[in-house]
Amino acid sequence: MTASPRSDANAAPLRHLLDSGRLIVCVGPGGVGKTTTSAAVGLRAAMAGRKTIVMTIDPARRLANSLGLDDLTNDPQQIDLTEALKLTGNKDNGGELWAMMLDSEKTFNDLVDRLAPDKGALKRAKENNIFRLLSSALHGMQEYMALEKLHDLYTGGYFDLVILDTPPTKNALEFLETPGRASTFFDERIIKWFLPNRKSGLLGRVFNPGSIVLGLISKVLGESFVNDLVEFFDTFHYLQETLQQRGELIEFILRDPLTHFFIITSADPRRIKEAVYFHEKLGQLEQRADFFIINRVIPRFHPEDIAAIEDADLDTLLREADHGASAEHISGLRQRLETHYLQLAKLAIRDREAIASLATKVGQEALRLIPLLGEDVHNLTHLLKLSDFITPLEPDARVATAKG
Amino acid sequence: MLDPLLDKRLIFVTGKGGVGKSTVTAALGKALASRGKRTLVLETDTFSAMEDLYGYEGTGLEPVKLSETLYASNLLAEDCFVATLTRFVPGERVARAVINNRVARVFFKAAPSVNEVTILDQIRVFYEAEDQGNPRYDHIVVDLPASGHAVTFLNVPATMNGMMRGIGPIAKMTAQVAAIINDPEQTAIAAVCLPEEMPVNETIELASNLKGVLGRPLTLAIANMVHRAPLHDDDRPIFDALLARVRASTPGTSSLLFDEEPTDESDALARLVEGNALALGWHDRDQRYLGELRSHVDAPIIELPIFYETSGDDVVARVARQLGGDSSSLDHPLAI
Repeated sequence: MTASPRSDANAAPLRHLLDSGRLIVCVGPGGVGKTTTSAAVGLRAAMAGRKTIVMTIDPARRLANSLGLDDLTNDPQQIDLTEALKLTGNKDNGGELWAMMLDSEKTFNDLVDRLAPDKGALKRAKENNIFRLLSSALHGMQEYMALEKLHDLYTGGYFDLVILDTPPTKNALEFLETPGRASTFFDERIIKWFLPNRKSGLLGRVFNPGSIVLGLISKVLGESFVNDLVEFFDTFHYLQETLQQRGELIEFILRDPLTHFFIITSADPRRIKEAVYFHEKLGQLEQRADFFIINRVIPRFHPEDIAAIEDADLDTLLREADHGASAEHISGLRQRLETHYLQLAKLAIRDREAIASLATKVGQEALRLIPLLGEDVHNLTHLLKLSDFITPLEPDARVATAKG
Repeated sequence: MLDPLLDKRLIFVTGKGGVGKSTVTAALGKALASRGKRTLVLETDTFSAMEDLYGYEGTGLEPVKLSETLYASNLLAEDCFVATLTRFVPGERVARAVINNRVARVFFKAAPSVNEVTILDQIRVFYEAEDQGNPRYDHIVVDLPASGHAVTFLNVPATMNGMMRGIGPIAKMTAQVAAIINDPEQTAIAAVCLPEEMPVNETIELASNLKGVLGRPLTLAIANMVHRAPLHDDDRPIFDALLARVRASTPGTSSLLFDEEPTDESDALARLVEGNALALGWHDRDQRYLGELRSHVDAPIIELPIFYETSGDDVVARVARQLGGDSSSLDHPLAI
């Protein structure tokens, strides 16, 4: 039932990467099917024998359904691979597929619960206005918390491979820059500013250079806000050390040679432009994209096809279906089909040109193409088909690995 | 098509990533401006799409004049922060001192919601700007962040205000901004989506969150890039029979479509039929999700057909004409 395996040169390096990588970060513009593609990558890795978890940010319910789940939650859920293995005729290589959806608020609350030194601190934290603001999923929280979860999944020791689906464009870039950001918010110097300096008393605070700014801030932001802020930092200094350590560790993980970046895009020229922007941004962050997966590529329709088709032949074929239709009616329908096909062919050419321009920038060998499938991915068969285009499954992954 | 927006001075446009939100924002701006209304189009600190769509690249807060009535600017958080601080800290020198203080910079950069408040405050400044007693802009169209974040973004002033217990100049400012946003008479919130599962669900969710969190309705939903049907409904039986015949005589057509190798001329007919089958599938899927949208969102819904122009400003021009009520591109059902 699977599409014929594509024996192209790019498949082997990608397969190797799925076999050996420990973390794959999927970034890319919105609306290109990034989450579904990430799931397809995860499915392929799991079927090749790896214990894989896909962490998504914002999945469609039908993705959960296609994996045989009602819904994705903040806790990893295991996906039954029996049917997928049966469909492809592969044997169970001990791989597992797990999936979860990030719930920032819950993750943050769990983190605070876990790290609070005592019940009193926890109670104070939860009553603090700023804490409440932070935990109601304000901007940036999703990114902080994705890294927090990533840390747990990565260091937990159970999973061989973590696949991280990130929010689109701007947020994904914030996401990559977040390790630094999360720890700067709780930067020791900032905390010292706001924390009452018990040793030096009032005079000590007045002459503390930070407190001049503090005074100014209270003027602008209001006394009560600053008091809340002081209390917040006082309560949360226990988080600071942990977040800073994790931030550093995550930076380290992101730079690990077994961490890979996939840019997922569509062939639309504007999306390709965004993909190039990601590519450059990764470069600035001293990272590189290992693969560009181009999703929903229009099949190769050719404008020349219209000339190759004899109008009379097509009319005859159409008339065979309906003996009652007039010749005029039939030729009208034929023209409609031809016009529409020409537009599709134009679109196909536009896609190929955009892909070619990407190839000149990043190299043909970094590209993987997934054709536009006729329907939404809403069952396992569709997901398998998608993963076949990413990298074809070997008839028996274990034997192949042993040989290699 | 623009009726629900004509009496709104501030128009926030939101939508999931990839639905063409920036294109629709640009087209809305263009359509309003072409009615002779002074229109300002604002981006909120993003990877600017207007370079492509309007053929310019804005720098700084000062709006760039694009035509007699159309202006645009990309509100970078950093610039807005400096502008807000300068407005609220007595004396520019003191403001500069804070801005140049390294620790203060780090703090404000990392602190949540500072960016949102200062961007919204800058929008307020444009909103209140006057020339000789008249508003400088008749319409301000804002390209908001993706809809998952839109409600949070728009609710930041109210949240901030609550945190400050209404005390201090910033609290006062946030109250003003919140009042403007929450007034459905002056301010429109328009959601752009595609006729696909996730964007439609997100729009339904957005409409209910706006009610729940901000206590105001969604003004308008715009279904973008709706596929046209390649053929009339009456002709479906004829086409289906053709498709069945072609598939029977050319086994493996669908895999042949995905082949990246140059293809055989003899498959031309099969490709033509499969291509139209694909397009018919898109159309059917679109109609299904449009039905979902209509039955779950209590706001006017407008449909924009898909345009395949390669260059951004061509698409903007066509969508703007469409929004402005010129339906000539629809007369030809296959116009692409």
